[in-house]
Amino acid sequence: MTPTQTQAFQAFASAVGKQWVLSQEEDRAAYSDHFAADEEKHRPLGAVAPASTEEVREIVRIANRFKVPLWPISRGKNFGYGGAAPVQKGSVVLDLSRMKRIQVDQENGTVLVEPGVGFFDLYDHLQKNRIPLWLSVPGNSWGSVAGNALDRGVGYTSYGDHSARICGLEVVLPDGDLVRTGMGAMADSPAWTLYRNGFGPGWDSMFCQSNFGVVTQLGLWLMPEPEAVIGCDYEFDKPEDLGWVIDAMMPLRRDGLIQQSPSIGNWLRSAAVMTTRNEWAPDKGPLDEKAISAIRKRFNIGWWSVQVRFYGHLDVVESSMRVLERAFAGRPVLDRKPARWVRGDAPEGSPLSGVPVSFPLANANWHGGRGGHIGYSPVLPPRGDLAMDQFRRTHALYAKYGMDYHASFAMGERSLTNVNQLLYNKDDPAMMARVDAMFRELVADASAHRYGEYRTHIEYMDLVASSYDFNRNALRRLNQRVKDALDPNGIIAPGKSGIWPKGRRA
Amino acid sequence: MRHAIRATILLLAGQVGLAMAAESPASGTSIENAFRGALQDRSSKTSDEALFVEKCSMCHRQMGMGTVSLARRVPSERAMLEKRTDLTVDFVKVIARRGLTNMPRISRVEVDDAQLDRIARYLAKGTSP
Repeated sequence: MTPTQTQAFQAFASAVGKQWVLSQEEDRAAYSDHFAADEEKHRPLGAVAPASTEEVREIVRIANRFKVPLWPISRGKNFGYGGAAPVQKGSVVLDLSRMKRIQVDQENGTVLVEPGVGFFDLYDHLQKNRIPLWLSVPGNSWGSVAGNALDRGVGYTSYGDHSARICGLEVVLPDGDLVRTGMGAMADSPAWTLYRNGFGPGWDSMFCQSNFGVVTQLGLWLMPEPEAVIGCDYEFDKPEDLGWVIDAMMPLRRDGLIQQSPSIGNWLRSAAVMTTRNEWAPDKGPLDEKAISAIRKRFNIGWWSVQVRFYGHLDVVESSMRVLERAFAGRPVLDRKPARWVRGDAPEGSPLSGVPVSFPLANANWHGGRGGHIGYSPVLPPRGDLAMDQFRRTHALYAKYGMDYHASFAMGERSLTNVNQLLYNKDDPAMMARVDAMFRELVADASAHRYGEYRTHIEYMDLVASSYDFNRNALRRLNQRVKDALDPNGIIAPGKSGIWPKGRRA
Repeated sequence: MRHAIRATILLLAGQVGLAMAAESPASGTSIENAFRGALQDRSSKTSDEALFVEKCSMCHRQMGMGTVSLARRVPSERAMLEKRTDLTVDFVKVIARRGLTNMPRISRVEVDDAQLDRIARYLAKGTSP
């Protein structure tokens, strides 16, 4: 550490207590990206863990004084996107995981959470207090409710577009000032988590995937426990089925019949949490069709599968289900696995009904050894032919780089998000050398088709930001102007989403 | 070979049309269908067990990432940490801080040293010294 850094750490310790300032080698390792082959590249200098908004403000003031960059994390479980690690090596992780206050408005179906609240924490809180509200959980529910929403994470239910359910934030600005958005801008407003817009410009989305402040409280709408959940898991036999399935479902997604964002995923999305590659093939390189067929047969899964659920009043969801079935009538559906839960039944018990889970993380174990993955997620117009074209090109790139294709297409109201995982073994240097080149080629391929990614890993934030290139990257210039105005010392998360402070721009 | 979630499946048998319910001897150590039966037992009888549930069980009880990953490497009855009789206090502490295969390192903020000591003792309780 430099003398200035040592002084900053001493000041942090006086603000939050010595126990909550961590700078040993063990601590630097704990906040590194454990999915990375080279953890050094984004190694933090240490961490500081405040317990309150007031302590966050004091840490931010100290960081300004000593010009020490902070990397705020909620719980640091953003696996596949960098985990807890900062873009800029040597940043100090601002670990908010001790801030765990939960305030539920049961009547209105909202919650105000601090960043340290994980999905399991909130689930336990609702269960313990018998509050009939359901979560929307992401595949890794170990992480933070607020952090996931702020990074525009997604879940399985009709509340699965998490950032769209944000209502009201409390934010420590880069100079230590404190602001509340929406109705929270009025002190003691009873409508902070109820009405999003407030008065004048709205700022909530400004703090998503950004480095313009440190969110210390986040309002989120929760689904009132429905009377029923009815749906079906559909399996499809052929790669070519992707196109017609999307074209059959999108009209129902657009007109509002389907309220969740159904995600059609390939066999490996299912298989990678249930088995490992070496059970099916001794050699390296992508699995052949014979092995894929054997896996599919063993686990009774299609080449593609999609899970659809309707949430609400029994009469309504039964009718909705009939409409969906009509859309699939006469189509080559390989298998249907119906699902039906009605209030009074034992818990349905899946992430589709808001039960938090961690098992999807087991996909990192596909190759055995110390695994990991990185996500490549371009956004497309919701058309079957475009999806098929995207699938063929991406599949060919996976084959070119000797990797097993792992993909899904999530149907938003007006878009498709094509989430691809590059599953790798970080102890296989040859494979790791291919992963970086492959990722860059995937981004180039998407850009060539004018598709941008919705989210990316800390290593590739500049690359993806560069692809948003209208008028010579005018959006980046705007982000930089905002950054300079709010954070002249550049102390909050430099490099997040490709936004760098003055003096550190390429 | 058809494992799923014993407690949940028994609970749900005949309830929500779970086709797999009948065929499951089950212990929550492996996954046959990722979209059924993921409910964990989150209960606890002691404060140390409650701490384990809060900090660890998301991965180390039924259908957790740790349980599922361990079941690929050790006999399934050893995949559930709370049922193990071979865990020592020091071993638990080292693994939590250093990580193991896909388990990330647990920071001293997420679980401080005193908490880790309680969790390690809870897990080592059935182990002869």
